[in-house]
Amino acid sequence: MLSLHIDNLAKSFPGLGSPVLLVDFLAIAAGERVAVTGGSGSGKSTFINVVTGLERPTSGKVVWSGEDVTRFSETARDRWRAEHVGLVMQDFHLFPGLSAVENVLLPARLARVADAALTARAHDLLKSVGLYRPDQKIETMSRGEMQRVAIARAVLRKPGVIVADEPTASLDLEAGEVVGRLLLDIAGETGSTLIVVSHDQRLIGRLDRRLTLGAGRIVADGRGEEVAA
Amino acid sequence: MIRFILADLRRLWAGAVVVVLLVALATALGVTVTLQERALRLGSARAADKFDLVIGAAGSETQLVLSSIFLQPAPLPLMPGEVLAKLSKDPRVTWVAPVGFGDSFAGYPLVGTTRALIGSTVSGFAAGRMFEREGEAVIGAAVNLSVGAEIKPMHGTAQMGGETHAGVVYHVTGKLPPTGTPWDRAILVPIQAVWHVHGLGHDHEHEEEEHHEGEALQVTQAAAADEHGHTPLEATREHAGDLRHEGEAAEAGGHDEHADEDHDHHGTIDADASIDENFAADAPGLPAVLVKPKTIADAYKLRQEYRNGNTLAVFPGEVLTSLYATLGDARMVLSAVAAGSQGLVAAALVLVTVTHIGQRRRQIGALRAFGAPRLSVFAIVWLELFLLVAVGIGLGFLTGLAAARLIADAFTVRSGIILPVGFTGEDWRMALILLGAAAVLSAVPAILAYRQSPAAALRA
Repeated sequence: MLSLHIDNLAKSFPGLGSPVLLVDFLAIAAGERVAVTGGSGSGKSTFINVVTGLERPTSGKVVWSGEDVTRFSETARDRWRAEHVGLVMQDFHLFPGLSAVENVLLPARLARVADAALTARAHDLLKSVGLYRPDQKIETMSRGEMQRVAIARAVLRKPGVIVADEPTASLDLEAGEVVGRLLLDIAGETGSTLIVVSHDQRLIGRLDRRLTLGAGRIVADGRGEEVAA
Repeated sequence: MIRFILADLRRLWAGAVVVVLLVALATALGVTVTLQERALRLGSARAADKFDLVIGAAGSETQLVLSSIFLQPAPLPLMPGEVLAKLSKDPRVTWVAPVGFGDSFAGYPLVGTTRALIGSTVSGFAAGRMFEREGEAVIGAAVNLSVGAEIKPMHGTAQMGGETHAGVVYHVTGKLPPTGTPWDRAILVPIQAVWHVHGLGHDHEHEEEEHHEGEALQVTQAAAADEHGHTPLEATREHAGDLRHEGEAAEAGGHDEHADEDHDHHGTIDADASIDENFAADAPGLPAVLVKPKTIADAYKLRQEYRNGNTLAVFPGEVLTSLYATLGDARMVLSAVAAGSQGLVAAALVLVTVTHIGQRRRQIGALRAFGAPRLSVFAIVWLELFLLVAVGIGLGFLTGLAAARLIADAFTVRSGIILPVGFTGEDWRMALILLGAAAVLSAVPAILAYRQSPAAALRA
């Protein structure tokens, strides 16, 4: 599990007068389960992109368990993310034409780390999320099943942090419930830090902490500590 | 990675098939032009290989070679028969053979020649034996007749609507092995028979011929292409016959010289007569003789000696070289067209793939987000396009080979010349160059994917 410290973080885009994300300080403890909420354009996606190393901030530090990922090259950030971050997205981003287990293993295979043990773990993970046909093609699955495959993929390499971006937004109530529970269970089992961007109140309610973003600033914290922008 | 690429190609199979076909067609066009042109050079060179020197009447060198060696039906002026007699006695000559043509049977040209030519250019017989009598014939390997078959020759070709020589029948005595030359489609008969069929060279008419032959040989090409639709040789010979008959008519006194003009001047053959291949100075006129000089020096001397105002001596190779130059120019034009089409296809492919990469930005961004290294993303995009283009190039080479073989087969059926269609080191080098170009081409969208920010791609 990983802890996160953010210092003086700013992310600007050319042509925009003010930064789209501005965080003076944020600390998330290892193993903590955090919800990130906010309206459209509040900076949630930018926050996720910056903390996962998908995007380099304009300034500031993003330190994961002592490693400032903003100093990494793009290739090093890719490698670090592959090793430490499990990503779950609203649109699943599964690859049609491949089976469930092939989708779970794809990033590991592309990173050339998919050995027999990891393959066995992929099969086990699919079972643990309630999928018993690992060779079923992705395009024949329901959306709920797809998201479960995406969760299995995210935790395959036992990441220190699981970051989920609206994981239940495109699912019906029942499937959303299952996926939310799975995320919490798996994060609990692997001891991963969990950061979930969501509008799903039931899911948010199960998490330890709630950060609310507005206009690129953290305007509220679930533990009652208001973070000044 | 390969599984991912194959799955992607299966998903986008229609587009993939179009890309492969486009590349294959553009490649096949170039390959066909190259293979065909090379095969034509090789095939024609091999066909002319056994004939060192051709001598004919002054005129077109190209036509002389095309008619005498490639047996293309075309008008040739005649040269005096004394040339043949002189060459027969020339110590610098291993063998000399006259060729006379103009008749055909069932679409196959009849070529009057000598046993010396057949014996010297072909090794043995596939069936039967050499002709020994005036009414006997030897057929090439591609002639669809058997030993013992009867041949009733006709003037010119079937397409020209020539008439059959009444009462003239040859019997096939032998079939030659394949040579891969137009002579495979030829029916070879004694030159003596050809002369006799056309009313020339009869012993009892020697005096008449001596008297009129010179006049006959003066018949111009324009006159030769007469109103009967005969080839100039036939026409020339017939005019020679006309002159002879006119002479006879004059001697007979009062005989209508036009009454038998159309048909009676055609001679006939004595099928059982023995063949005399000792040619005297009074031999009838000839379109060409094929000469085998003893040495290279002799060949050059003979060529020089017989390149005078009345006769023309050529090495088939020199004529072919000039034809190849023309062929090379045509090939350059066709190759430029093929290269242009390949360039257009390449440009279209870059456009299509760059657009495709734009459409797949989210997928590529997701791959990066889930931890796929940038190099893997580059490799996926590069390999996917390279595979398509490489398959297209491979298919194009096979299609080009198949097309060239089909064209070559059709050409062989028509001409008898076997065109050796096949790949050489030059083609493999071209394949490597094309694959290299494909590798570079495929790198364009791959670099775009490599440089793409995953966050920006996911936002798209």
